[in-house]
Amino acid sequence: LAKKTKEDKMSNLVEEYFEAHSSSKVLTSDRTLQKLRKRRLNQQTLHDLLKKAPLAYAAEIKELNQQHESLFSKWMLQLHLGFNIVLYGLGSKRDLLEKFRTSVLQGSLHLVVNGYFPSITVRSILNSITEEVLDHIGNFRSPLDQLEFIIKRFKEDSSLQLYVLIHNLDSQMLRGERSQQILAQLSSLPRIYLIASIDHINAPLMWDQAKLSLYNWLWYETTTFSPYVEETSYENSLLVQQSGSLALSSLTHVLRSLTLNARGIFRLLAQHQLENKDNPSYPGLSFQDFYQQCREAFLVNSDLTLRAQLTEFRDHKLIRTKRGADGVEYLLIPVDDSTLTDFLEKEDEDV
Amino acid sequence: QQIQEDLNKQLFDNLVSFLRRSHSEFQEKTKEWTCRMKSREIPTAALVLGVNVTDHDLTFRSLSEVLQNNITPYIALLEAKDCPGIKNLMQKLMGQLMNCYIEVDSLEDEDCVQVSQKRMRCSMTSLINWYESVTKKMDSKTPSKKRTSCSRHWQSPPVVVIFKDMESFITKVLQDFIVISSQHIRELPLVLIFGIATSPMIIHSLLPHSVSSLLCIELFQSLSCKEHLSTVIDKLLLTAQFPFKLGEKVLQVLINIFLYHDFSVQNFIKGFQLCIVEHFYSQPLSVLCCQLVDAKKRVNSLSHDQCENIRRLPSFRRYVESQASQKQIALLTADNFLKEIIQKLLEDLHVYHENYVSVLRCLHVFTSSLPKYPLGKQIRELYCACLENRVWETEEYESSLQLARMLNKSDLVTMLQQCVEIFVSSSGKEFDKTVEKLKEFLTQFQKLEAEAFQEQDVSVSSQKELQKKTDLYHLQKTLLELKESRRSKKLTKFEKLRFEVVDYIDSLVRNYLVPADHKTLHEIVYFNTASVLRGHLNAAPRIALHTALNNPYCYLKNQALKSDGGSISNKAPDICIVYKLHLECGRLINLVDWLEAFSTVVMAVEGPNADAASSDQVDDIIHARFIRAVSELELLGFIKPSKQKTDHVARLTWGGC
Repeated sequence: LAKKTKEDKMSNLVEEYFEAHSSSKVLTSDRTLQKLRKRRLNQQTLHDLLKKAPLAYAAEIKELNQQHESLFSKWMLQLHLGFNIVLYGLGSKRDLLEKFRTSVLQGSLHLVVNGYFPSITVRSILNSITEEVLDHIGNFRSPLDQLEFIIKRFKEDSSLQLYVLIHNLDSQMLRGERSQQILAQLSSLPRIYLIASIDHINAPLMWDQAKLSLYNWLWYETTTFSPYVEETSYENSLLVQQSGSLALSSLTHVLRSLTLNARGIFRLLAQHQLENKDNPSYPGLSFQDFYQQCREAFLVNSDLTLRAQLTEFRDHKLIRTKRGADGVEYLLIPVDDSTLTDFLEKEDEDV
Repeated sequence: QQIQEDLNKQLFDNLVSFLRRSHSEFQEKTKEWTCRMKSREIPTAALVLGVNVTDHDLTFRSLSEVLQNNITPYIALLEAKDCPGIKNLMQKLMGQLMNCYIEVDSLEDEDCVQVSQKRMRCSMTSLINWYESVTKKMDSKTPSKKRTSCSRHWQSPPVVVIFKDMESFITKVLQDFIVISSQHIRELPLVLIFGIATSPMIIHSLLPHSVSSLLCIELFQSLSCKEHLSTVIDKLLLTAQFPFKLGEKVLQVLINIFLYHDFSVQNFIKGFQLCIVEHFYSQPLSVLCCQLVDAKKRVNSLSHDQCENIRRLPSFRRYVESQASQKQIALLTADNFLKEIIQKLLEDLHVYHENYVSVLRCLHVFTSSLPKYPLGKQIRELYCACLENRVWETEEYESSLQLARMLNKSDLVTMLQQCVEIFVSSSGKEFDKTVEKLKEFLTQFQKLEAEAFQEQDVSVSSQKELQKKTDLYHLQKTLLELKESRRSKKLTKFEKLRFEVVDYIDSLVRNYLVPADHKTLHEIVYFNTASVLRGHLNAAPRIALHTALNNPYCYLKNQALKSDGGSISNKAPDICIVYKLHLECGRLINLVDWLEAFSTVVMAVEGPNADAASSDQVDDIIHARFIRAVSELELLGFIKPSKQKTDHVARLTWGGC
């Protein structure tokens, strides 16, 4: 009977998948955040605001954590018996691992890897092992060589013991096949003890049979419900201002460091763009027209100076040039209109 | 812990030796073949090893050991992950060969120099040069022991290259290597060994005809992993040697993981190990789980608390309840008396196990020869069935009895005979067999056999008579006799049937009781918490996430969170609300609408007490909370930003989870 219900469930799931993906047309409203009265928050204000919001169910979460903490001694035993431990479940497991580190691993050699850190690589992990644990200076040609060296050292020296704690083993940087392979081989060494946490729902997809057997995982469900503060601080959310696109603050910063004439040039271009903002086929201002206008406003005296100025803008990603159908260069500011309006208003205030 | 580590070691040793043995035959074949091969093409052995990649390590290691001891000192073991390009492959190969060589005779220091410069030039020619120099050296000094054994086989020993995982090699690299080495086969006698996980077809799909024609391939099949499993179970579980036992559910979980997931004996062993760890960690009375002699010593040194623990065991309670009241009081109060009883009980348990195994094997012989295998074909299935329930109450058992009654032909006699033989040998191994019943059985069977022989004799002689005397009267007479003898034969058939029934009922009712419901103190040696095991070995992170998000009450024991499945409770943590809202959407989600829905849900809680003046700030906070929850969902992989439409996110899951 159980099997049958399971089958039913399976077929339901399949149907649901096709239901979700059947029509290419998606029915959602066309409202955008732009129309929302709210301005976008940046990382700092977000952080401050969240501090004000009380954490719900603190007592229960604490109780949960205590439950998990009671497992620490068991983890130690199992680590020493050649298993590695992986934690899964909802909520950040960072504090839990930190607690484990401070309460149990105090005094023994350990390495903490912050997987959520966007610039972490396997090489940096290996480097910290070779440099700080094994006191080896010098570089290796490839991570594989480095790994070989580590394995050799650990085989020779039986007094070496290393605990490796990896927060978010499934993060963007570590989820690659090669890095997982290397980490798996590392963790299969008898005196390297690995504790890792995973969050992504599809994290187990990155391991095949061979890696799984190298990792020798013991799974522990540690649902903590605590917010992912550190982990999401690097996640560029849609709702937070993205560092990738040009923001108002960076715009003003850059322009403040420029000369008065240069600022005037940019202003001219911005005004022109705003005047044409309702025209969808507006290609931008052509260089010749722009030069003419700048000359008239006594902002430049020659073709060359304007070009130099524009190059500087381009380097700061303040403008973009596009060659039109007629071969003429058109200039555009790749910033959305509202930011541009804000910018102009602010400039007017300053002046 | 100590005991348990001992046990672990014991277990591992046992396993390794077993694997060695099972492979040795296979290795012998390969070895022989390696010696024999000599042709213009590159001799290649394709080992079909099955999909359990994790177990192959051991196979290859022992294979290379055997080869090294018997045939050639030059073995290189290449793995796909080390060889992304032909250059790396050559490097690895040379490094390993030279290291191999040094390992074999560590006396010569000159070679160290060679090794240190191995990185410099790793081409085929340098390999050949090296090989020539080594072989020359070898020829020049024949007195060396190992060399003579080598050169007995061959003037120049072959260089064996093992490709561990054929499937994951890059085709180009492999082809190049084969082509290159085939050009130098005269100078460098190479032998390739491919480890294949799938089927031999893969060679032809990986290598084009022009390349595979350079190889002279011979196929070798290894044992299937199922056979491995049954032997491992046989060796580990069905012996009285190990005091630690698995409960039915746990065994079922382990076997299921094996059969439905990975076919890996290694993982099975890992699970078994975990069981041992769990058992010795969680069960305070597991100190008594050891050999009988040690256990008795330990019983004497039990503390009062431990005695209390024993009294608390459910099986022990049942035992106490079945005793006379006088004895009950003594058991519950006097520690010394308790210890004596415990010793007796432990002894009982031990005897029970010993009987159990041999009777189980006997039953297996009976049932495994029945058609359709109502009780299972493998001994592990029978074991599970016996552990699970009273086996004589199950339908399968009933049907197998019926089948045994029907099957009552002369070939059954031979089967019985064979079964008895196994039984005798096993009872011989289980040295202190406590019940004399085996012998009783034996004599019964022998009687049976003797009678059967007599029958045969009679029938044979009667047939002879039939041929001799041909007149009608005699014929009639002999026919009548035959009929009579047949009738008597029927009687013996009945006898056999009766034997069987006696046999079954006797052995089963006495020895086959389910451990949990009959034996006291079974908690000491049986590990039976399957859920723990399943959680640790075969976890389901998605389900955990889903329940945590869908029904936070499971984890946060707050009454406010208790709700009926479908509706969105506004008191749940933010991320749960956001998740529930996102479940209602299709493939794309509009962020603005999502935010608004979220704020209405959240405002429903705060609405009554929030003032209008501070609403702006509240709004901001809600916005921030929403951002946090959405980015958490993104981190968890439920959504991802989408470029299809502005300010939309795409859902990556579908349906209810």
